[in-house]
Amino acid sequence: MGHDTVEWVFVAIVIAILVYVGVDSWIVQKAVEEIPADAETIKVTGQQWFWSFEHEDGTQEKIELHLIKGHAYKFEIYAKDVMHSFNIPDYVVFEDAVPGHVNHAWFSPDQAGKFPIQCREYCGIGHYQMRGTLVVEENKS
Amino acid sequence: MVLELRKPRPVWQIMFSTHHTDVALLYTITGVAFLFMAGVLALMIRTHLFFPGQGVLIPDPATFNRIFTVHGLTMLFLFALPFAAGIGNYLVPIMVRYKDMAYPKLNAVAFWMNPVGGALLWLGFSDTSWVSYAPYSVIRAPGPAADMMIFGLKILGISSILSSINFVVTILKCKHPDLPLRQVPLFAWSILTVSLMTLVAMPTYAASLIMLLTDRLGVSGFFNPSIGGDPIAYLHLFWFTFHPEVYIFLLPAIGMMYELIPRFSRKPLFSQASGVFAFVMLGLIGFASWGHHMYSTGMDFTTKVVFMIGTLAAVPASGMHVFNFLATMWGGRIRFAAPMKFAVGGIALFFSAGAGGVLNSAMPLDFITHGTYWVVGHMHLFLTGTIAFGFVAMMYYMFPFITGRMYSEKLANIHFIGMMWGTVQVFFTQHLLGLEGMARRIYDYPAEYTSWVQLNQIATVGAWILGGSFVFFLANLIYSAAKGKEANMDDPFGLGGKYYYPYQAKNPTHHTGY
Amino acid sequence: MKTLIAVSVITVIALALVSQMHFANAQLGQKVSEKQYINLRAEVWNEFFRMTTAAFTVGAIVSGTMIWLVWRFRESNPKNKTPTKWEKFDDPTSGTYEEGGH
Repeated sequence: MGHDTVEWVFVAIVIAILVYVGVDSWIVQKAVEEIPADAETIKVTGQQWFWSFEHEDGTQEKIELHLIKGHAYKFEIYAKDVMHSFNIPDYVVFEDAVPGHVNHAWFSPDQAGKFPIQCREYCGIGHYQMRGTLVVEENKS
Repeated sequence: MVLELRKPRPVWQIMFSTHHTDVALLYTITGVAFLFMAGVLALMIRTHLFFPGQGVLIPDPATFNRIFTVHGLTMLFLFALPFAAGIGNYLVPIMVRYKDMAYPKLNAVAFWMNPVGGALLWLGFSDTSWVSYAPYSVIRAPGPAADMMIFGLKILGISSILSSINFVVTILKCKHPDLPLRQVPLFAWSILTVSLMTLVAMPTYAASLIMLLTDRLGVSGFFNPSIGGDPIAYLHLFWFTFHPEVYIFLLPAIGMMYELIPRFSRKPLFSQASGVFAFVMLGLIGFASWGHHMYSTGMDFTTKVVFMIGTLAAVPASGMHVFNFLATMWGGRIRFAAPMKFAVGGIALFFSAGAGGVLNSAMPLDFITHGTYWVVGHMHLFLTGTIAFGFVAMMYYMFPFITGRMYSEKLANIHFIGMMWGTVQVFFTQHLLGLEGMARRIYDYPAEYTSWVQLNQIATVGAWILGGSFVFFLANLIYSAAKGKEANMDDPFGLGGKYYYPYQAKNPTHHTGY
Repeated sequence: MKTLIAVSVITVIALALVSQMHFANAQLGQKVSEKQYINLRAEVWNEFFRMTTAAFTVGAIVSGTMIWLVWRFRESNPKNKTPTKWEKFDDPTSGTYEEGGH
């Protein structure tokens, strides 16, 4: 084989792998970005250095967030002062809280228990302790 | 050429010189000095994170934030950029067969901005993190540290623009007329590419620094949402400069490997043309991917897809470099002197970091990786594994030329094993930490998260090994420069005598070559 | 040698497929929830494991090649006693890139 042929074959293989990566992540992203219509809205506000939550019925919570297993929830994420990032690692929920913007994320807890909530964007001295807890309760009905 | 220690000159003669090798020496020494200073900060961070909840070594979060900020700024702006410029200063005029850089005085001015900028960064010790995202850096970051950082970066940015202009003019206008551009050695090509990239990318950041400053002074509100600004604008401006900047750090290291690998393989380069093509491609595509740093800021699906494709498009060109290296080694007779060891180690880690980068660019994985230690591990694997490996390889390669003496191969072996082992242990472990969900830039973490504690401790031990290996490096540099064996300047690495080293260009017995 | 290469390529593909099927099954199993919401974390983590499978497969090939290269073409390898054909040039590393006859 010639000098160039080998290299072009190599480049073609690399491109094939990249196309696989691109198409696969396109499909998955499309699927996970679609927020279910019946999702309950929860307002999340990040500020130095704690999270506060407001449920659809007006109940307010700080640091701890109580949700019910099996429901879908849509987060509306606000920031009061600087950029934060709302993150529930165990449920792969992650979206920045940007002052002046409203961002969205959604998930549906499928396991009861306590899960950590944290801030994943540097926001100052208290960034490391900007933690909360997600409490998922069993569906009573 | 310069044999500083064989024919010693008074220091001021070097300091006030505008000759390209003197400026190069100043650049290189400054770069290495800042590497060690920033390395100490990194070891402080890692040692601190070994003990969760105890505040060891770094007593309060404010200091911690300042330390990681200055660590990042120093490594990027005061080690990576000046060191690449230093080696560029040594080799580019020789490679294009010109007597000096195009503008020698400008060259010296560009260098002397580095200590000034460095002093501002270190005396200010800002806590904005190196990205200094608005609005934190506008409304909350304490002055005068943040203002000093802005001025320091401004000066360093101007310095890098000036040296880029100098390189572009030297390569394009002062090149020997008999030497076609496509035959200019690939290291000079890498410097040409990054200089052009700097000229396009850097002004954006320079502008956003001015906006940041006026925002901080309260006379404008570009990034301050309470008076109608938009923090996302800052992110776009910042990453439009700093994603291309990633390639500006990387390509000189790749160019250095192109200098080393054919020579130590005793074989011609597999393909000069594909190397040039890949450099130019990376230089262009580097500008198409900045948005992948911002997937989570509320970007819509289409924009994400565009930036994902832009990011993936850079991979074939990087792959062509790796292919070129491996194909050059194939069928050679490789001498594994220290520079070659580091170059080959660098290629291996370049692949790992690149594969991690492909994973990063896949949109859904951003939920898992972004803003965690995965990203820290990924970018340090690039910066240490590829860039620092290439730079260290080059330092060993240039050592006999600069000092006239040979480094100790034994100490270099210890350095290589320690650096390779340490790099893998720290940064691969940090990838795992990211998967466990540990956010980056945190001062402390709960001691009851046992997986975090264990992984952090493994990473810290790796960092000590990495740091320890650099002690051997420093000892090698100092001891061998003063007391090392005299190098055989015709063939310091014993490749067989027929081999031509670029730095022998001004040796009157050489008429051929570059 | 050729059969060896063919067998190893087939093995690698088979291993990749096995893990794919495994993840696909895992995904099916988790989809049984009371409502029809997709399981976000399963989708994302499955994607992650598919990507890492690809990355490690390619990584094994690349690093295997590199280790073999370093072992085979080091100058201390007994097979490399005689100088290569390129070493007869005055300066094998510059200028005459395309004329070396490779």
